[in-house]
Amino acid sequence: MHAPVAKQNQPESHEALLTVLRSAPPVRGTALRSVAAQCAASGGSPGYALVILLMVGLLLGVAIAGLMFGSVHIPGETAVAILANLVAGDGLVEPGWRAVYETIVVQTRMPRVVLAALVGASLGVTGMTIQSIVRNSLAGPGILGISSGAATGAVVVMRWGFLGLGVFTLHISAFLGGLITLFAVFWVARTGGFMTPTRLVLAGVAMSAILSALTSLIVLTSPDPQLASRVLFWTLGGFGTAQWKLIPIPLAALAIGLGVMLVQARRLNLLMAGDESAVALGLNVQRFRQSMFVLAAALTGITVAVAGVIGFVGLIMPHIVRFLVGADHRRALPAVALLGASFTIGADLVARTVIAPLELPVGIVTALVGGPFFIWLLRRDARGLGGAR
Amino acid sequence: MSIRPGTLDLCSVTLLAGGKALVDNVTMSISEGEMVGLIGPNGAGKSSLLRTIYRINRPTSGTVLVNGEDAWRQPTEWVARNVGAVLQDMPAEFPLTVRDVVAMGRSAHKKLLEPDTSHDHALLVAALALLGLTPLQDRAFRTLSGGERQRALLARALVQQPRLLVLDEPTNHLDIHHQLQLLRFMRGLQTTVVAALHDLNLAAMFCDRLFVLDRGRLVAAGTPETVLTPDLLRNVYRIEATIARHPETGTVWVMPSVAPPTR
Repeated sequence: MHAPVAKQNQPESHEALLTVLRSAPPVRGTALRSVAAQCAASGGSPGYALVILLMVGLLLGVAIAGLMFGSVHIPGETAVAILANLVAGDGLVEPGWRAVYETIVVQTRMPRVVLAALVGASLGVTGMTIQSIVRNSLAGPGILGISSGAATGAVVVMRWGFLGLGVFTLHISAFLGGLITLFAVFWVARTGGFMTPTRLVLAGVAMSAILSALTSLIVLTSPDPQLASRVLFWTLGGFGTAQWKLIPIPLAALAIGLGVMLVQARRLNLLMAGDESAVALGLNVQRFRQSMFVLAAALTGITVAVAGVIGFVGLIMPHIVRFLVGADHRRALPAVALLGASFTIGADLVARTVIAPLELPVGIVTALVGGPFFIWLLRRDARGLGGAR
Repeated sequence: MSIRPGTLDLCSVTLLAGGKALVDNVTMSISEGEMVGLIGPNGAGKSSLLRTIYRINRPTSGTVLVNGEDAWRQPTEWVARNVGAVLQDMPAEFPLTVRDVVAMGRSAHKKLLEPDTSHDHALLVAALALLGLTPLQDRAFRTLSGGERQRALLARALVQQPRLLVLDEPTNHLDIHHQLQLLRFMRGLQTTVVAALHDLNLAAMFCDRLFVLDRGRLVAAGTPETVLTPDLLRNVYRIEATIARHPETGTVWVMPSVAPPTR
């Protein structure tokens, strides 16, 4: 197989190639470089740079659209000017617009767009990471049971209304629900010190079922007839509560979560090789899977706490991104964050304009838009997406 | 400086699972540059034994010494830098390219965040070329044929720059042409190789020494001539066989009898 083929394609002889393979590395250079250098080195192809550039462009475009449209239409150039003024001050752009426009853009729409971007990016990166830790591309952030736990936490507060934590009571109780579920799933899945992908999925599914039943029970036995629709609305997700005060928490969560995932990107790649191979390639699979599970689950919990359960983003964005830039996490994670953010801003824009002045839960839009798009992709290229064996 | 072949010493390795000894007090010593075959019937414990070397199954008792160091007292990365394993584990769920799969072999040599260097790249290119995978490097791994996959997994083990290669039935699912190619290639590597093999004649043709496992115990060890005897084949494999010589290489050739074993 080798000698003749090698001679055709490579000027070097079999012996010379073997010598290369036996060569020790030259003295280790500067060991630690930035994440950016790592990403550049792994994805240094012009194709990848172009894809990322296009995705950044898409994100900016969708974000500006998100500032323009709503109950009051604000012209694109005004939205951009307000944005530029906000960033660079009066020196660069003279404020010549109506003050109410600025209030709408800066106080109402921008936090909403930023929150949607943060949530979308978080869903994308957690979805991708979870698919790797359970080695199943049909998994998504919802599969670990954390979303169901967060929903139960939120519903408890909606019905009994205790805690008294001010405006963020709902968010905090949802996060606590998710956190408790995290520990429960971890405990169940880690029986005997091992956390296999199958056991993790089964633990998550079982926990989801129990918590969903619990949520339904709380809703159905409530004397408040409005509770059911409020719960349904919250469960399907939305950014109606967005305000600047809320932003720092999901921002910090995304920064930490994505940062750790990028640092661990090489190891996430090894998980895709199968557990035995990953060990043989030098990864402590059990410890790594457990720590990445905690990270992904915590990020999911925060995401659900601030925006409810938004389906489909964490499931389909990783597929589209792998299709575009490949499965190497060093390249795919930044891309899935960008694409998840754009998609979610767009979905939110649709959710709040399509039946204005009423709002749809954004989860309905992500599923209604994302589902058919995903089916189209599946049918268009059966080999590329989750396809041929 | 170049990577030198390593050594492997198993000292009284026992592996119990559910009260049953999968590996029972096995002691063997493999020196630098040797190519040895691990043979034995189905369920004899070949895979279980190999798993104690690349750190899947921790021995219940006994030690595994790789280059004189206790493999189970070293970090996982250390073992991956010293032992390259070719397993039947196929990454088929995700659209990894052949190059992605082979590049995984460098992981244990890298610190967190350390980018790929020109050395890593040179190793990747050399391994792909050696195994004739250069034209396939951008193909999705899961679209490869069985032989191509096996070569890709071997290339991945080679870029690990191991001093010891461990192969678990590497010729499984390969036709005779690809079986010979693979074993000839392993022979030419001049590194230390331990391979679990099913085909006794191929094992005799290519291995310096054979180790025979039966129900977890090491029942014979030595050159193919001394190990592959009618008695051993009858006791271990429950077959009647005549031993001949390969006309070209002079190595032993097992000719099984059609008849069932007499005892």
